[in-house]
Amino acid sequence: MIQNKEQWLEDASKKIKVPKEQIARAFQAELDGAPAIDAPLEIPDIMDITYKYSYGGISRFFREIRDNRQLYGTRCPSCGKVWLPPRINCNECYEPTTWVKLGGTAAIVTYTIVYYATSVFYGKTPYVCAFVRVDGADTLIMQNVFVNDVRQAKVGMKLKIQFKENRNGDMGDFWFVPAEEAR
Amino acid sequence: MKKVGIVGIGTTPFKARWIEKTYYELAYDAAKLALEDAGIDKKEVGGVVYGIYNEFFERQFMPDVYIHNYIGMGLKPSVRIATGGATGGAAVFVGWTWIASGLYDIVMVLGVEKATDNYNYAVGHATPETLKAILFSGDMTFENPMGLTAAASYALPLIAHIDRYGSPTERQMAMVSVKNHKNAMNNPIAQSPKLLTVDEVLNSKMITYPFKFYDNCLYSEGASAIILASEDKAKALTDHPAWITGVGLSLDKAFAGERDDITIFTSSQYAGRDAYAMAGIRNPRKELDFAELHDAFTGAEILSYEAFNFCKPGEGGALVEDGVVEMTGDLPVSPSGGLIGCGHAVGATGVMQTGEAALQVQGRAEQRQVKNARVGLVQSIGGPATAWTAAMIVERIETATAKPGPKKKKRNQRKRSKK
Ligand SMILES: [Zn+2]
Repeated sequence: MIQNKEQWLEDASKKIKVPKEQIARAFQAELDGAPAIDAPLEIPDIMDITYKYSYGGISRFFREIRDNRQLYGTRCPSCGKVWLPPRINCNECYEPTTWVKLGGTAAIVTYTIVYYATSVFYGKTPYVCAFVRVDGADTLIMQNVFVNDVRQAKVGMKLKIQFKENRNGDMGDFWFVPAEEAR
Repeated sequence: MKKVGIVGIGTTPFKARWIEKTYYELAYDAAKLALEDAGIDKKEVGGVVYGIYNEFFERQFMPDVYIHNYIGMGLKPSVRIATGGATGGAAVFVGWTWIASGLYDIVMVLGVEKATDNYNYAVGHATPETLKAILFSGDMTFENPMGLTAAASYALPLIAHIDRYGSPTERQMAMVSVKNHKNAMNNPIAQSPKLLTVDEVLNSKMITYPFKFYDNCLYSEGASAIILASEDKAKALTDHPAWITGVGLSLDKAFAGERDDITIFTSSQYAGRDAYAMAGIRNPRKELDFAELHDAFTGAEILSYEAFNFCKPGEGGALVEDGVVEMTGDLPVSPSGGLIGCGHAVGATGVMQTGEAALQVQGRAEQRQVKNARVGLVQSIGGPATAWTAAMIVERIETATAKPGPKKKKRNQRKRSKK
């Protein structure tokens, strides 16, 4: 039996970064009951790690978005393919690519609507995830498409890019909206 | 290349949660079942290939390391495979190469997975946290932040396919759900045996368009092991080994936006092509007696019919409506209940499916036995937008002396005498 329940909850809350009440609810049987000595014993636990992650060779892609509200892809000088997401080399030609400025118009190639999401995306459902072809790019990029009614999303829908007000240098800095809705 | 037989099969029940067992305890249970089924001692095993998908599920990186000697295999060769949902199938593929190369005579392939020790405290159950653990398999820079889920990853090619061909329809997909839940009623290890109607599937809660609740497989916990053996060993151990006569493995462009055609499961086409060629199968629709496909989502099963050449692109939905893939049809798909009926204990799933195929061709599949099952296809899919596929052809090869029937008696006698 847990000796000091209040202390146990406090320690658990600190360890897994979850409010005490939620832990108390999850462990009610262990806290209030008298489970048999050989009953399965669960513990609150977490796997956690922080990063200072480098984007390496594609750093400019995120700097252009964050600092200049500008979308860039890369072009292979050998085969001419325009990559978005960008990459600093071509996997066909094994040659370095060069940066190329892209506009903000695009179209949905395929999509889905997520109604049931991971804990990270609670409160945002339903939302549209789409493979989008940005005009001038040869590959598709995955992005969220924000529409008034998610059921309006369809293959071929014309889109326009929108940038977030306070940008952090990640894919959350921009998204797409239907072209006719763009402000 | 040497012939590769399957001589032992052991699968624990697939359950929503195995609170009473850790991952290595589940692995032990499957290993014991498979060794007993083969009638061999663990000392005879040359090496073990582990299929375990997700570190965050197990709460452990390199979980195979801690299983190996837990099941008494310390110092033997061992390698762990992790190819997303295809982990179990890819582990079988690698185990197959260990025998086919002549390197070892007996190899164990052991898949195991936990998933529901993950727990979301805010909502009071596992699923949101399990989905989050999976999302770390999406590219962390370009895909993870978009809120993609495993279901969404399958829905993207499916929606493109529906846009091009007008099929599968939501009703055809619902029919797959009804079939696989029903097939699972004949399978004692299945998590979700159920008699459903098409309307119940169609009216269930939308999860990820176009997949409703019953279009999805459930996360599961469990373990499955098979014992592979060289021809001589296999023939010594049993009168009727199942043979893996063809294998294929393909990894498509993981950034699906780089693919030439996003409407088809290209990795399944490639893995299937290689497995068919090796097994000498030219007309799968005619030559296959059954298939255990990776129905993580109903639509995926239908697109897989097309990728494996059961029919032309766009015609998969009709196979369901015509009853071809039902137990009573002439190409039953997932007699085990598949992932939708059994649950998806990721690393264990492909091993379980291969074991199921072996039971079928050995005539040991009990209530779910397909009549005269001689040759079957196993498919294991994983990775972003179905990037990975492992495919296996499992076959019974008739010889003058060996016919399907009960196991050799001496195996059990020998096992008993060893105790
Ligand atoms: Zn190039």
